[in-house]
Amino acid sequence: MLEVVHLSFSYGARRVLDDVTFDVAPGEIVGVTGSNGAGKTTLLRVLASLLMQDEGDIRLDNVDPLARPIKYRRGIGYLSEYCPLYNEMTVEDYLTYRVRLKGERNLRVRRRVGETLEMCGLDAVRKSRVRPLSHGFRKRLGLADALVLHPKLLLLDDPLAGLDVPHRKKMAAVLTAASARSAIVLAGHEIFEMLDWCTRFIVLHEGHIVGAYRVSEFKKPDLARILERQIGTGEEDEEAFA
Amino acid sequence: MTVTQVTWLREVRAFRGALSCCIPMTAFLAVCGWTFMIMLKHNEGSVLQIQSLWGLAVAPWLPILSAILTMRLFSEERATGMIDLLLSSPIRERELVIGKFLSALTVVAVALAVSLVVPMLALPMLSASVKGLVRPVAFAATYGILLLQASTWCAAGTMISVLFHNQAAAAVSSLVLCSGLPVAIYLVVLVWVPSVRMEMAWLPLLMHVYDFSTGFFSTAVMTLYAALTVFFLFGCSKLLACLRLRG
Repeated sequence: MLEVVHLSFSYGARRVLDDVTFDVAPGEIVGVTGSNGAGKTTLLRVLASLLMQDEGDIRLDNVDPLARPIKYRRGIGYLSEYCPLYNEMTVEDYLTYRVRLKGERNLRVRRRVGETLEMCGLDAVRKSRVRPLSHGFRKRLGLADALVLHPKLLLLDDPLAGLDVPHRKKMAAVLTAASARSAIVLAGHEIFEMLDWCTRFIVLHEGHIVGAYRVSEFKKPDLARILERQIGTGEEDEEAFA
Repeated sequence: MTVTQVTWLREVRAFRGALSCCIPMTAFLAVCGWTFMIMLKHNEGSVLQIQSLWGLAVAPWLPILSAILTMRLFSEERATGMIDLLLSSPIRERELVIGKFLSALTVVAVALAVSLVVPMLALPMLSASVKGLVRPVAFAATYGILLLQASTWCAAGTMISVLFHNQAAAAVSSLVLCSGLPVAIYLVVLVWVPSVRMEMAWLPLLMHVYDFSTGFFSTAVMTLYAALTVFFLFGCSKLLACLRLRG
């Protein structure tokens, strides 16, 4: 579904992503992890078409974002790390605006918005303005925005950051439900939570992939230890690649 | 609804309740009314007609209003990070740009229409012979050229707002481009070639308003403003596309 081949990106002279290659199959939840500055956010921004790669190819169901940008972007949903929203709008108005902006037909807008608000547990606050919402609700609204049109690929940048336990559980439930329809690539540091629902992990260090692990092939505590060690040291794991 | 319509509607709603729109509009109306009354007083018995006075009183303030209204269009999106969500959505940059530009132009059009109240209030004070000369078509033509000028200032302001995270910086840059630069060029030309002083006794931007208000239409002038508007909007969508290159 998603193929990323020899992807490289630089901010000026500084190489942030170097020869990154991986793929994501439908229904997979791939966790991208690594220390701060490893290139996780940049990778997601390149996949979200917010940055243009210097080298390499990206294909989503054989659609190249450089050749057919609108078709590619129709297939993705993106949740930014900081989860920006229009504060003066109500939750329902914001989501309606975003659905319309993404080109959904008028007849389907209300249904899509209703379904997504219910799925993300935002029904109770649908008439509230965005400004006074807590961080957890803002993240959920951002997630609702990302998955409202059932994209093929969900790109989530640090979706668990700053969330308390109930919000994390709700977020996990929503993502598990969404994975039935979409492949998910998410970046984050919360390895223990991510182990519960990710099917695969990619470890980035200074722009390189230094490890790739299928969760089903490891015991969770073992994998958590491996990931933590690798995030700390950035040593490449030859066995994992093999 | 198209992307342009959706964007226009959201921006107009955002303008409606925002202090950053209400205060500049009120100030604009007050300063236009004050300028008009001063000009009316100083041009008593002159050949200037009331629609020309209105046009000349409003035109110098239009770049300032446009700069303040357009400063937040993209700079706010960049400061809050909403630009990421917009650019990762399946929309073309030009649709987004046109929607935002039209929302600012709508607000300016409303402000211009409301500023017509002052000459209407002044009409009863005029002598019967002057009142007989006032024709709605002349006001419509003046309104048309002012709107055309405003579209250029709004397009320039929209383009400049892409370049900044800070709204004040965007507004100041727009003002320099729309207000300062034409005046500076005009003054330089007058100093450089003193012989054109007779032909260019007024700043051409004001001369265009005067010509249209007296029924002296020029397709060249209309084309100039339309072309500048398209140029700035095109530049704006290309600058947005460039954000993908440098992050």
